[in-house]
Amino acid sequence: MAEALAVRNLSRRFGGLRAVQDLSFSVNEGETLALIGPNGAGKTTSFNLITGYYRPDGGSVCAFGRELVGLRPHDICAHGLARTFQVARPFGKMTVLANVMTGALLRDHKLEVARQKAGEVIDFVGLTAKQHAPARDLTTIDQRRLELARALATQPRLLLLDEVMAGLNPAEIDQAVGLVGKLAQRGLTIVIVEHVMRAIMAVASHIVVLDHGQKIAEGNPREVVANQEVIRAYLGTGYAHAEPVGDARC
Amino acid sequence: MMHGLLGRSGFWLCVLAAAALALPLVASPFAVDIGIRVALFAFIGVAWNLMGGYAKQLSLGHAAFFGLGAYTSTILLIRFDISPWIGMLAGGVVAMLASLPIGALCFRLRGPYFAIATIATAQVLMLLFLKFRDFAWGAEGTTIPNLGDAPLMMQFDGKAPYYYIALALLAIGLLITYAIERSWMGYYLVAVGEDEDAAEAIGVDALRMKRHIYLISAFLTALAGTFYVQYIYFIDPNVAFSFNISVEAALVSIVGGIGTLWGPVVGTVLLEPTSALLQSWLGSGRGGVQLTVYSLILVAVILYRPAGLIGLFTDIATRLVHGSQARTKEAPLDG
Amino acid sequence: MAATIAQAIVNGLLIGGIYALVSIGVSLIFGVVKIVNFAQGEFVMIGMYISFFLATTFGVDPLVSLVVSMPVLFVIGVLLQHFLIRRVLALGDMPQIFLTFAISLLLLNLALLLFTANYRTIQTAYSDTAIEIGGVYVAKLIAFVVAMLLSALLWLFLHATDLGKAMRAAAQNRDVAMLMGINPDRVFCVAVGVALALAGAAGSLLMPFYPAYPMVGQVFVLMAFVAVVLGTLGNISGALIASLMMGVAESLGIQFVGADSGLIVVFALLLLTLALRPSGLFGGWTR
Repeated sequence: MAEALAVRNLSRRFGGLRAVQDLSFSVNEGETLALIGPNGAGKTTSFNLITGYYRPDGGSVCAFGRELVGLRPHDICAHGLARTFQVARPFGKMTVLANVMTGALLRDHKLEVARQKAGEVIDFVGLTAKQHAPARDLTTIDQRRLELARALATQPRLLLLDEVMAGLNPAEIDQAVGLVGKLAQRGLTIVIVEHVMRAIMAVASHIVVLDHGQKIAEGNPREVVANQEVIRAYLGTGYAHAEPVGDARC
Repeated sequence: MMHGLLGRSGFWLCVLAAAALALPLVASPFAVDIGIRVALFAFIGVAWNLMGGYAKQLSLGHAAFFGLGAYTSTILLIRFDISPWIGMLAGGVVAMLASLPIGALCFRLRGPYFAIATIATAQVLMLLFLKFRDFAWGAEGTTIPNLGDAPLMMQFDGKAPYYYIALALLAIGLLITYAIERSWMGYYLVAVGEDEDAAEAIGVDALRMKRHIYLISAFLTALAGTFYVQYIYFIDPNVAFSFNISVEAALVSIVGGIGTLWGPVVGTVLLEPTSALLQSWLGSGRGGVQLTVYSLILVAVILYRPAGLIGLFTDIATRLVHGSQARTKEAPLDG
Repeated sequence: MAATIAQAIVNGLLIGGIYALVSIGVSLIFGVVKIVNFAQGEFVMIGMYISFFLATTFGVDPLVSLVVSMPVLFVIGVLLQHFLIRRVLALGDMPQIFLTFAISLLLLNLALLLFTANYRTIQTAYSDTAIEIGGVYVAKLIAFVVAMLLSALLWLFLHATDLGKAMRAAAQNRDVAMLMGINPDRVFCVAVGVALALAGAAGSLLMPFYPAYPMVGQVFVLMAFVAVVLGTLGNISGALIASLMMGVAESLGIQFVGADSGLIVVFALLLLTLALRPSGLFGGWTR
């Protein structure tokens, strides 16, 4: 299996704070990797480094054979990496359809083609009924769907999802997990940042755990959940020797 | 607007165009003069709106391009006997070239600081031209020689020809805006204006979009500068790079409807005649009246109708024309 | 030669103190309320006119008139925030920029209407007095000292009082501040009030040696903006230091390049900053 994304020794500090320290991990094509860790661990910062919003102080990011460090976000998107933001950022003034079309225009400037492609993606995420609504009028969860649709419209090879499940109820989580699963089935490489354990267990084949900017564990879900370091990072030293119970429910 | 010339909006558009074209035939020279100002400032507003309305790059220094256009054509005319028609295009090119370094510097700042930087660039240009005695007449400025009726040199007897030129410029500006609005560029520009970072994430080269729209906006604004000199037969740095022009360029769009096709026209139609009438009642002796009124209107619009007054008018218009099932949104951004 | 340079530097520092008062106000409002006050210069102008009228009508010394101009402007600031600025805070860049911009236009043109464009000056006992060493004008020296005093008082306020700390908290993270029970509107009103009071103080301090006229605010607000950019957005001490630097740069420019080159020096500074270090002298990390 080819490597879709290889992050090597990635570092970034902000003044005195070392947000990401010497981070290395890789994702194979078609794989779904979950990036987890307590708040402030550096997950979103890593996304920002990978997608070109921040420049790393050191290290490299290689995706589909090309070095990404130094490229601007739009180039990285053109190369095949699409991301969503933790807080959805729709183009409020535009309709849902127009939002997604803007994404689709990356691959083809012809409006008709973009409109058609956008329609397909909107159907996939389930926003067809609302496609002519102004984006600013959507509910939060629909804005998340829009965020995903817009990213998918750019026809990415690698999708980076930043906490898409935050604040969803169990039924909505299942829906979201279903969508992610379908994307994975289509061969899309996915990296998700998540806190919702049941979602992670359901979609991820591989997990990387961050704490204070450093990778503290890596492995398949079973291994990671039982890992003492991980437990200590999330729950504190007192729980370090606790036994994991059943499947993790939050 | 999707119905084109055959639909209802097309009908009203023709009515409007006919009325506009007929103005000089039925109105006094004073009214035609107001018409010229309306058309010209609507055109400047349209040029500004591309940058400030769609891409949300709120420039308060567009006078820089106005002045560059005005000076380029005047220098070419007086020093080299070149027709202002060519000078106008040359001025546009000069403005485009100027927009590149100005943009390179100013786009590093966002929001209000971008605005401040643009104010600074217009001021710098004014200062430079105040100093340039050698080929730009310094602070005293210059008049352009009165050639009587000389259409090839953009001079005419009577106001009507000037009116039609201004109207033509406005039409060009509106057509360009319309074309952009309906193209991929329109989507990308609005995306950049709404959320630059999110736009980058879906492959929009924000910097390139800003640069391109600045080129177009600068070019158009410069054309207005040339026209203005030809109309008032005079130029000096204070007139050419006047902060008032920068303000009005932004103002008419904001009051009328920022980021809409007709917004600047609506704004100018409201503001220019008002100010012309005020001036004739109160006399131009009392400086400050026009801008006091403008700023009060601006405050009112911002507090009560930030999207501009065009919403008010389209509501009324669509209610009259289409009845209650009116869609008030502009078509292109509906997808 | 050295004496001329030294004198230019000293003069520059002194006027820089006034610029500091104006730019600290801009920085404070930007840091706490997160909007840029385009009208800051007009409030300096108002301060100047207040002192002018108090001086010509009641013979009040401009320094004394501080006790009038500062509170008056504080109240104006509170009203401005509560009735106008608050309405646009949630609306985004465009309304925020153009609201204060419109207020700036309005105040300037109202002043033009009411007071005409004539320069108004006053003469105090010490207006033309210069001290022995270096020929520094007493009026400017007093202005500088008072400006620095006020800056120090502001620093104390922000760091040693509860309200000041609440302001800094709101500046750093509005949501968390609200969770902690800090009323944002109250904090914003005080911030704007203080910023305008500082502008008013600048105006009063300027009267002994500077003319009042409707457009006077434009010069100072431009200086203030450049100082705020140079000193890094939101950084109050940065604004202070940058203001002093700019005062010196302007002074040296006037001395060695030409009388009307002050503005050009300032613009050159702005352009250089934008080109080389857009996040300002004290800016941290950029992309």
